[in-house]
Amino acid sequence: MMESTGSKFKIGDAVMVAVENPTGNPRTPKYIRGKRGVIGSVHGILENIRDHRGIHKPLYTVKFDLSEVSTCHDQDSIWVDVHEEWLSEVRQDS
Amino acid sequence: MSGDHGHSHKPFEGHMHDFEAHIKAVEEDLEYYRAKRFEPRIFYLLRRNVVTFPDLLKARVDLKRKNQFFKPRKPEGKNIEARVRYLEEWLDEYVKGIALVSARAVEAMDMVTEDNRKERGDYDDFFKIKKKEHHGTLAERMRNLEQDLKDYQELLEVFVQALIKRGWSTRAELEQRWKQLHEQRPWAGGVIVAKAWTDPEFKHALLATGREALREMGVHQGKVGKLVVVENTDKVHNVIVCTLCSCYPYDILGDTPWWYKHESYRTNIVQNPRACIKDMFGLDIPAGKEVQVYDSTSDIRYFVLPQRPKGTEGMTNEELAKLVTVDSLIGAGYALGPNQLRESERDGFTAEAPRVRPD
Repeated sequence: MMESTGSKFKIGDAVMVAVENPTGNPRTPKYIRGKRGVIGSVHGILENIRDHRGIHKPLYTVKFDLSEVSTCHDQDSIWVDVHEEWLSEVRQDS
Repeated sequence: MSGDHGHSHKPFEGHMHDFEAHIKAVEEDLEYYRAKRFEPRIFYLLRRNVVTFPDLLKARVDLKRKNQFFKPRKPEGKNIEARVRYLEEWLDEYVKGIALVSARAVEAMDMVTEDNRKERGDYDDFFKIKKKEHHGTLAERMRNLEQDLKDYQELLEVFVQALIKRGWSTRAELEQRWKQLHEQRPWAGGVIVAKAWTDPEFKHALLATGREALREMGVHQGKVGKLVVVENTDKVHNVIVCTLCSCYPYDILGDTPWWYKHESYRTNIVQNPRACIKDMFGLDIPAGKEVQVYDSTSDIRYFVLPQRPKGTEGMTNEELAKLVTVDSLIGAGYALGPNQLRESERDGFTAEAPRVRPD
């Protein structure tokens, strides 16, 4: 795939989803906004001309602990596809 | 886990003996297709003056029986099974009709899927079209459905007539497309999974390359988005959802069950996956397994590679394919065990394969 062409994050990186991003791809669901996750896969830039005009930023599948995105405490996880402009790095030095 | 746990109560899966479940599926799907697939497109085209309200009114007034594009339907028999089938087949015609006008609207207006998502309120509740609720006895609900199908198809009919009148399409072109829409592809879910169970190289390729592996296998590979297949193991149970709309590899696996598009599933599966899977599908995921829910929020379409049931050693691919259910590719069920398949064949309850429409 196109994973080497300028994707900012790599598998295992800790990231946080922006709360708002009016110019970003709207397909970032509300329940993960402001939440922390870990990059699970890197898909690079995917063209999908049937679905939308233009080409979006690189896409990642981000893994969230269930307890991060809901009130349920089962040790399960939710994996969500998020475009790069919604994600920022989380420093893990604390 | 092997699936040899006998019949569990699955409130959301209907066999033909469960007429209520069939009618519920028609009710939910009909409202879904009207409110999510058809009417948002009308609004899109009205806003852009491709068709206008007066066009629609005139088309209705001018409509003659002999010019009708969609032919009236009749049940083949008076018993309840025949009448349920009649409603199901009518719904299918309605859905095909939407596909017919959508293709034209999409080409005429350079409309992409994203436009429809905005128009129908995937990102803004303000735009959501309210769905009808259903009440009454089964007989009343069936009568209401018949009336709704008639009404909704009439609007579709008028819309087709207006498209022709405004010169966006011709009758001949629509008829040709209509014929194509009736050419169904066989459902490939079973053969893909059976091959993955018996051919480690193929399985590896399927998990690594998605559509590319299907092309090599000679199965229709579709074209919407990147395909990712996630494998169930002794440690992980995967489940698929699209919380924003209802994304799914339709182009490979055909139509989804109605509950996949329903708000209750789309909300609950990411809030409390285990409880949701148990309540809706009667499936108890063992404590030692992690549930991983995949939310298809962008350009990836997912399906689950279920575990091969125990007691299937020595079965041919053709036999194995029969164990694969639609639910098992979403993570709402396991593949059937051999005993379950025998039971359901004996009782005449084998599930029908989903409809796979042409691209």
